[in-house]
Amino acid sequence: MEVDKKDEREAESSEQVVNPWEVSAKDGGKIDYDKLIDKFGCQRFDESLIDRVQRLTSRQPHVFLRRGVFFAHRDFNEILDAYEKGDKFYLYTGRGPSSEALHLGHLIPFMFTKYLQEAFKVPLVIQLTDDEKCMWKNLSVEESQRLARENAKDIIACGFDVTKTFIFSDFDYVGGAFYKNMVRVAKCVTLNKAMGIFGFSGEDHIGKLSFPPVQAVPSFPSSFPHLFPGKDNLRCLIPCAIDQDPYFRMTRDVAPRLGYSKPALIESSFFPALQGENGKMSASDPNSAIYVTDTAKDIKNKINRYAFSGGQDSVEKHRELGANLEVDIPVKYLSFFLEDDSELEHIKKEYGEGRMLTGEVKKRLTEVLTEMVERHRRARAAVTDEMVDAFMAVRPLPSMFE
Amino acid sequence: MEQSLPYDNRIDSESSDQVVNPWEVSAKDGGKIDYDKLIDKFGCKRLDESLIDRVERLTGRQPHKFLRRGVFFAHRDFNEILDAYESGERFYLYTGRGPSSEALHLGHLIPFMFTKYLQEAFKVPLVIQLTDDEKFMWKNLTVEESERLARENARDIIACGFDVTKTFIFSDFDHVGGAFYKNMVKVSKCVTLNKAKGIFGFSGEDHIGKLSFPAVQAAPSFPSSFPHLFPGMDKLRCLIPCAIDQDPYFRMTRDVAPRLGYSKPALIESSFFPALQGENGKMSASDPNSAIYVTDTAKDIKNKINKAKSGGHQFSEDQHNLGADLEKDIPFKYLSVFLENDSELELVRKQYGEKKGNMQTGDVKKRVTEILTEIVERHRRARAAVTDEMVEAFMAVRPLPSMFE
Repeated sequence: MEVDKKDEREAESSEQVVNPWEVSAKDGGKIDYDKLIDKFGCQRFDESLIDRVQRLTSRQPHVFLRRGVFFAHRDFNEILDAYEKGDKFYLYTGRGPSSEALHLGHLIPFMFTKYLQEAFKVPLVIQLTDDEKCMWKNLSVEESQRLARENAKDIIACGFDVTKTFIFSDFDYVGGAFYKNMVRVAKCVTLNKAMGIFGFSGEDHIGKLSFPPVQAVPSFPSSFPHLFPGKDNLRCLIPCAIDQDPYFRMTRDVAPRLGYSKPALIESSFFPALQGENGKMSASDPNSAIYVTDTAKDIKNKINRYAFSGGQDSVEKHRELGANLEVDIPVKYLSFFLEDDSELEHIKKEYGEGRMLTGEVKKRLTEVLTEMVERHRRARAAVTDEMVDAFMAVRPLPSMFE
Repeated sequence: MEQSLPYDNRIDSESSDQVVNPWEVSAKDGGKIDYDKLIDKFGCKRLDESLIDRVERLTGRQPHKFLRRGVFFAHRDFNEILDAYESGERFYLYTGRGPSSEALHLGHLIPFMFTKYLQEAFKVPLVIQLTDDEKFMWKNLTVEESERLARENARDIIACGFDVTKTFIFSDFDHVGGAFYKNMVKVSKCVTLNKAKGIFGFSGEDHIGKLSFPAVQAAPSFPSSFPHLFPGMDKLRCLIPCAIDQDPYFRMTRDVAPRLGYSKPALIESSFFPALQGENGKMSASDPNSAIYVTDTAKDIKNKINKAKSGGHQFSEDQHNLGADLEKDIPFKYLSVFLENDSELELVRKQYGEKKGNMQTGDVKKRVTEILTEIVERHRRARAAVTDEMVEAFMAVRPLPSMFE
C-alpha cells in the first residue's frame, strides 16, 4: 500500500532527502536506493520484468534497463499485462526548463522514453513546466517560455516520432480540459497533505502549492481531448527520475477518487556528478557534468581532470589492489552509456582486478561520450523552428498506436 | 496609507466580533453589521457626497439611486479613476458572480444593476467573471454542473441590460489559460501561504484548490489578462463594483499589483442587502422566504413582503404616535434601495418613520410590492428573451472595437 511519507526538507545528515527540489545522501554518503524504494513504497524492477519487456517488444531491452539505471516502478507489470492483451498505453514525461545548459543526466529520461516509444509503439506527451520554473526560480514568464522552446529542441534531437509525440509548455497549454483536471485534483489534496508530501512551509508562495496538480494531470488522458477523445481508460506510463515520485504518489492517491486509472511509473536512479556520488551536478559548476554543448576537447579534459577515479594512487598499488569500482565515476558513466554488455563486463573485471589502468577507462569513456554528444549536437542543429512548432501543435495523432 | 497588511479574519463565528469575508458575513452578537468599523478595519474609504457630485458632473446625469442611497457606500481609489476620466483616460469595469445556484435573488442583481449604470454613464467596457471553478471547489458540484450554472446565470446577467458591444462574459473553466494563466502565476508568486491564510482564513484541512483560487479572482483586474480586448493598453485602469465581502480578494490584488508593475484596481463597494426576516437574518437559497427571487410571481412577492420583518407597530394608534422603527423595517429598507424617486422616499420616511405620520405598514408593503413586482417582471421578460446565441455572443472571445464609444 502506498502511503505518503514526510520528506524532511532540511538536509539532516541523519537521513537522506529525496524530493523534487533536493537530493542528498545521509552523512554525505551515497543514496541508499533500497531504503528509498522501501520508504516510497515502489517496487524494484527485477529480471523477470526485464525479460518480459524483451519478450513483448522482441528486441533487446534498453541499456538503461539492463544496467539498472531504470530500477524501480509502480504498476509496470499491469501495463505489460494490458499490453499483452492488446491494450495500449501512452507515455508521459517532462522537463523543468530552468536553463539552456543540458547535461547528460538530463538526457537520460528522454533517451529511455524514446526507446519505450519505439519498442511499444505508443504515443507520448512531454510537459515543459515553464510555469514551475517561473515560480521557483527568479525567471520572468517570457524567459521561462523561451527556455522551454530551447529545451524542446534538445528533446526533439533525442529522436522522438513527430507523428506520435505532443510536446507542450504549461504557459501555452493550461486551460480547457487540462485546467478542469487540475481543479479536480486540487480539490482532493489538502494543504496538510501537500505540505507533508512536498515539504512546503508558510513562507512558500501559493503558486508552489498550486503547482502539483499541473504536473499530475498529464497522467490522465482526458487532459488531452485532442489526442485521446473517448479513451478515458487509456493507461499512462511515466518514465522519470525517482525524485519526481512524490508528485505521482499524490496523483495515484487522487486518481481513484476521480474515477481515473492510476498512472504507472518507471523510475531512474541519479546520474552522478563528475566529482563523485557525493557531489552535485550544477549548472553553475561546468566541471560537475558533461554538457551537450561540450566539445570533444572539453569532454576529454573533464573526464581526465575531474572525473573521480576509483583507481589507486600508483600503478604498483593499482595492479595489486585493483580499482574501487564503487566510487569510480568513469566506470559508472560507462555502465550508463556503453551499449555492449560484454565490453563493460570486461572493463569492470580488468580494471577492478588492476590489469587495466584508469587512463584506459577514461579514454574509452571519452570516446563513448564524445560520440553521443556529437550525435546530439548534429541532431539539434537540424531541429528547425518549424519542427518545434510541429511537435508543439495541438493536433490529433491519428497514427499514434502504429 | 492603505491597510494592505494581512490580518486575522476569524472564520469561526465569534460573537465578540463581526466577520466579513467572501464565505461568511455575520454581525457581532447577532446584531447589525457595523459599516464604520468595517471600513476602518479594511482600510477603504467612505463614498462621500462630494464624490457623488463629481460623478454627476462627469457623467452629465443623475447618479444611480444606489449611490444616492448609500447602497454603494465605500471605495478604494475611485477618486483616482475620476481624476483620470476627467483627463480623458478611460477605465474598464470588472465584476463577477459565483454561479452556485440557479436561484438568483434581488441581492444578487444589485451589483449588476449598478455596473450596468456605470457602463452606460461612463461609456466603458466591462468583463464579467463567472467563477464556476470556485463553486466547483467550494460546493459539492461536478465540473459540468458548475459550468451549466454559469451559463444559466449568464442569462440573468445579460437580462440586466449590458451592451454586447462593450461586454465580455467568461467562465473560468472556459477562459483560464494563456495570458490570464500567466497573470495567475505572477500573482501567486507574490502571495505567501501565511499571507493567504491570514487574509482568507484557510486552514490545513482546506484543499489546495482553495489556495490557488484567489489568483483567479485577482487576474481580471489586469488588462493584460485580456489580450483580445486590451492589447497594448497595459496602463488601462480597472474599477471593480462588488459587495464589500469581496474586499479581501482585492486587498490582496492591490498589494501585489505594484510588484508586477501593474496599476492597482479601484473598488466601489456595496453593503449587504438584508434578508426578508431582518438584518440579523441570512438570505439563503434553501429558505425561499428569506429573499425575493427573480423567479417569484407577483403573488409570491406580495406574500413574502407581507411576512417581511416590520418596524411598524401592530396597532395603528401606536404607529401614528410613535412612527415606525426604520432601522428594523425591511419593507422600508427595500424601498430605499429600489424606489427611484427621492422625494417619494422622503415622503414615506416622514409619514411612516416619524411621529404623527399618516402611513401604515400596509401602505409601505403595498408600495414596495409594486416596485419589486415591476423589477422582477421586467427581469423575467428580459431573461426570457435571452437566447443561446446571445449568450454565445457575450461569451465569445472577440475584440470590442467600440468599447469606449
